[in-house]
Amino acid sequence: MERLSEGAEAVMFEIRLSGKPLLVKARNRKAWRIARIDEELRERRTKREAKLMVLAKKAGAAVPGVAATGKYSIFMQKIEGKLLKDSKPTAKDMRTIGRFLGYMHAQGITHGDFTSANLMLTKDGPYIIDFGLGNFSNSEEEKALDLLLLERSISKAAYANARKGYASVSKEYLKVISRLDEIKKRGRYQTRTLLS
Amino acid sequence: MAVLGIESSAHTFGVGIVDNGRVIANAKAMYKIGGKGMIPKEVAETHLNNAAGVIQEALQEAGISFKDISGIGYTKGPGIGHCLHVGMLSAKTLAKKLNVPIVPVNHGIGHIEIAKKRAKLKDPLALYVSGGNSQILKKYGDRYKILGETFDIGIGNMLDSLARSLELYPAWGSTVEKTAENGRYIDMPYTVKGMDFSFTGILTHASKMKGKHDNKDICFSVQETAYAMLTEATERALLLTNSKELCVCGGVAQSKRLKRMLNGMAEEHHIRFGYAEDPFNADNGAMIALVAEQMLAHGTKAKLQECNIEQRYRIDEVKLWKG
Repeated sequence: MERLSEGAEAVMFEIRLSGKPLLVKARNRKAWRIARIDEELRERRTKREAKLMVLAKKAGAAVPGVAATGKYSIFMQKIEGKLLKDSKPTAKDMRTIGRFLGYMHAQGITHGDFTSANLMLTKDGPYIIDFGLGNFSNSEEEKALDLLLLERSISKAAYANARKGYASVSKEYLKVISRLDEIKKRGRYQTRTLLS
Repeated sequence: MAVLGIESSAHTFGVGIVDNGRVIANAKAMYKIGGKGMIPKEVAETHLNNAAGVIQEALQEAGISFKDISGIGYTKGPGIGHCLHVGMLSAKTLAKKLNVPIVPVNHGIGHIEIAKKRAKLKDPLALYVSGGNSQILKKYGDRYKILGETFDIGIGNMLDSLARSLELYPAWGSTVEKTAENGRYIDMPYTVKGMDFSFTGILTHASKMKGKHDNKDICFSVQETAYAMLTEATERALLLTNSKELCVCGGVAQSKRLKRMLNGMAEEHHIRFGYAEDPFNADNGAMIALVAEQMLAHGTKAKLQECNIEQRYRIDEVKLWKG
């Protein structure tokens, strides 16, 4: 068992199941909050994240397959590739990413942390990972925020292609874009830095 | 030589004096908040009545006189306009009379800088929690950047409103903390989005619980939920920025429960955690003097006629010194 990373919320490690590598995302106990809050949050978030992954995949986005879930952990397919933030995507890659997001949004799935740190490029094309902050939502605001996070994390050209891909499949494109413009006009986002 | 700082953004009129980073006076007078919260005009009137006395008190505490003052700082914002005006006018009058430089200071930066100073931290991530503000910040170069913040109201306002709606007295956060002792948990909405959070949902929910549950259970649940939200958002920011130090500051940093939670989280990540003593977490003039002294030392000063107030003065607008 190899410990791969420790996020704020969960640890990731790899196990092998009948020779095949599986990634485990486990939400650990946080001793600083009371058990009632801690257990409820971890269970609810684990359940929601697994469901989001399964449904996003069903909607047409490339997402790691969920093999099994425990009360506080998700066992998922291991994706081999590089994070988008560490690679040079082609225009086609970016259009695909935009399309994937459009498919998800059409099914009422938002990612919540849609940055280049949560997108992977593989030999089979882009994958979307880490649905830990995702939500079931048809709110234009949340959808627009997905686009905003992407825009802030990649180059202008790459984002333009992603937006083309998004526009090509999204029926609510214009509504989401006008909400996005509105968000950008609000004070708190003008100067906001998004580090991820 | 010493720098005098005046704070008047909300219910406190504070005058602090620092000498080379050392606080030599921290005098204040407070407006008593009743059941209706803060009425701006009334608070400003109280400040007007207190101003001269508090300035005198600070000088006495420091054991110096006006001729020893080499610079003046005042809170430009954010805060309540009526209240800010009183501090600004006092500061301008003093600066003109004493013929010393004047510098406007951002209130939140005062809170962060004094926490850093008192806790002896170099480059911490800061959780700034007060009545009107709840933000997670870090300094990059000569500016603070906001990494996360409340979507709606500050946590302090939420706790004060809760105290008022449960008819607790005095109606503010420390009473909520006292009432929460031995409480039992009832479900509350928990809203964290990345490094941002929201408090109105808790307030609405808790107000509906009034009469159906014991006040101690309501207070306990609100507090545990709200502080867990802040701690979780802070934890995300710590890991994202790879910070090795953490400080909490602002009025709500006086809460023992919040500090205990943050401390537990910081220990898990082997991060140094610190904060200022309570009188420096409550609004105070010393923090304004401290920042003013540093700004003046780094060559920032303002022309008298350019000194104004700004009710929504954002921390990330302020150019400071590097390092």
